[in-house]
Amino acid sequence: MADRAHHHPQPRQYVNIAIVLAVLTAAEVALFYLEDGVDAIGQAVTVPALLILSALKFYLVVAMFMHLRFEKPLLSRFFTTGAVLAGGLYLITLAALGAVVLF
Amino acid sequence: MAELAHGHGDGPAHHQVTGIDNRKLGMWVFLSSEFLFFGALINNYLLFKGRDFGPGALYPVELYDIPFTSISSFVLLMSSLTMVLAHSALARNDQEQTRTWLFATALLGIVFVSGQFFEFGEFILHGLKLNVNPAASAFYMLTGFHGVHVIIGVLMLMVLAFKSLRTGSLSETEGMNVELVGLYWHFVDIIWIVIFVLVYLIQ
Repeated sequence: MADRAHHHPQPRQYVNIAIVLAVLTAAEVALFYLEDGVDAIGQAVTVPALLILSALKFYLVVAMFMHLRFEKPLLSRFFTTGAVLAGGLYLITLAALGAVVLF
Repeated sequence: MAELAHGHGDGPAHHQVTGIDNRKLGMWVFLSSEFLFFGALINNYLLFKGRDFGPGALYPVELYDIPFTSISSFVLLMSSLTMVLAHSALARNDQEQTRTWLFATALLGIVFVSGQFFEFGEFILHGLKLNVNPAASAFYMLTGFHGVHVIIGVLMLMVLAFKSLRTGSLSETEGMNVELVGLYWHFVDIIWIVIFVLVYLIQ
């Protein structure tokens, strides 16, 4: 673990990650305005793109800022299990209530 | 301190068979459980946002100010940077920088919450009160609870920053507290990343 801790990013790398996060946020906002002006087919592209960008930002913060990438695997398992179970549970609930179509 | 900041310098009392500091492990378990809490609120909003509540009903989506919320989101995102810089400075035992970044993070958190208060105020002025329809209630519950989490984070950051200011340096235990508060703060940020897209951008 001491070795892992030694590999934590340096401040400059944190700033670079923040710049990437800012660019991704700008891309999300740009997609929003694009989504507003396109038809249903266009939205079939922009909506998944928004979800992917959001997932990328989520990953960057968790892995780099929360250092999960450098921690013991047990913590990753706890966090991933919580996130996946909660996501799965709510996705099924939304599908059962007709708010989303899974298949 | 570098070791401490990464959870290895607080003595054997806080270690368990997992080899991870108990407090840190506890924080990660707590954050995992928070997914269920916010998941329920997001779910609730998604269920009601597309429903029809009759003619003349007002919906949050009609009042969103995307440029304003985008700037708020950017502010919260940058507060994650200042938080990790505080943690990094502590790992180098640079107490002054730690204090500066802690104050900066708290300030950015205050800016974000102020933005949320402003947004709520605008919505209420337009007639979108908490009880006008279930979609409005779900919106206020979700963003309101997130705001409460930010306020709690700001308070914890202020306690650490003022303690550092008073004593000149953070003790070993408080060093771990910076890491724990940092984890909490980043979690609040990732929840907003999800809310920003699911609630504001995908309409």
